[in-house]
Amino acid sequence: MDATEAAAVLDRARQGDSEAFQALVERHSRSVFRLAYRMTGNEQDAEDVVQESFLRAYRQLGRFESRANFGTWLYRIVSNCSVDLMRSKQARHDQVRGDSLDESSMELPAADLPGPERMAQSAEIEHRVQAALRELSPLERAAFTLRHYEGRSIEEISAALNLGTSAAKHSVFRAVKKLRVALAPLRSQES
Amino acid sequence: MSATHYSEDDLTLYYYGEARRRDAIERHLEGCPACASVYRDISGTLAMIAPPEAPERGDQYGLEVWQRIRHRLPERPEPWWATFFRRDRLVFAAAAAMLVVAAFVAGRVWPRQPAVLAPSGVLQTANGGPGSIAAGDTRQRILLTSVADHLDRSERVLTDVMNAPDRSDISSAQRWADDLLTTSRLYRQDALDAGEQSVAMVLDDLERNLLEIVNRPSKISAADLEQIRRRIDAAALLFKVRVMSDELRRREDAPDRSTPRTSTRKIS
Repeated sequence: MDATEAAAVLDRARQGDSEAFQALVERHSRSVFRLAYRMTGNEQDAEDVVQESFLRAYRQLGRFESRANFGTWLYRIVSNCSVDLMRSKQARHDQVRGDSLDESSMELPAADLPGPERMAQSAEIEHRVQAALRELSPLERAAFTLRHYEGRSIEEISAALNLGTSAAKHSVFRAVKKLRVALAPLRSQES
Repeated sequence: MSATHYSEDDLTLYYYGEARRRDAIERHLEGCPACASVYRDISGTLAMIAPPEAPERGDQYGLEVWQRIRHRLPERPEPWWATFFRRDRLVFAAAAAMLVVAAFVAGRVWPRQPAVLAPSGVLQTANGGPGSIAAGDTRQRILLTSVADHLDRSERVLTDVMNAPDRSDISSAQRWADDLLTTSRLYRQDALDAGEQSVAMVLDDLERNLLEIVNRPSKISAADLEQIRRRIDAAALLFKVRVMSDELRRREDAPDRSTPRTSTRKIS
């Protein structure tokens, strides 16, 4: 689909043509899923985000300015849907476990780590990283994902998450601080 | 070396290439072991965090997403002229036009028979049958035949899904169900207009279950499939569809067509 054709499809979708919207869904689903998966770290949650994002996009399509890039507009929606989903999951999770943090996944002492002969270290790192990412707040995780995995600038992150530049920046900083603490045992084992 | 040190936040921005005075920070790090150590820790930590590999999604994934969301799309206001050109209205218009043409041709070709006025005032043909070729009856017969065929096709889809192995690809059954769903809505409306309440109720049940099939992922999980089966079983849908189809066929074949337009047979 070239740029002119894409613009025509988008225009038809904005006028309520569901076949044109279907073409947009088919074109963007995989990249939306990839971003949603990075944001949520969970396949089922990512699927939920994909569906909710397209439904939200359909409802808001009338407000989309044709001069803007649809992909960029859509990734903002996906980012916000991911944050919303993580927030609602976190709220449910907090209800179950109270407000206490799962310290075991954050601060396992280096001495307790299985030795390299017993476990592939990369798998252990991956496990620790995922555990540490789960401990970030939804906003911190979203900001960190956009910065670290997606290579978005602070300005783009603030636009995507509807935050001020300073708030976006500090979400990334807080995420990096928490990750440093959580992964310190692995770092000390490395050095 | 500068006396002031850079903060962790400055060094994080530097790592991501977003620090303002990049050259100054670079020079500082060369001469300041404390900042260099913090920076090594930040960069070492962040280097550990590789993007997670998202599970692969096939070429048909976009279509699957569309199938899942299409029935959940909210209504959006259409321009006034668009309502005249909606597909379902065009289908209705085409069907109506065909009926008019068929009635006209039949009227021209059919041998004319002298009409006599019966004592009761009912218009009868010369052979005495009360209005046996009336347009209402013709329409009724067309409806009976079409709905019976539709129910037979639906029964096949339902049976396919009921017998599908767990985690199989049901995309062809879904496409079929989707087509049937559109047709079913039209027939249900026709049945209501014709006073066929029982037919409309079975079609309504059928639509709910077809919708369930259409909205599930194509690579259906065992749990999803079980849920669909339970739903079909709970509504005794296959039984209702078979019984209704048989009844319609009987009425269609009845020589005197004396069966009332509103079926009194209750299927539950």
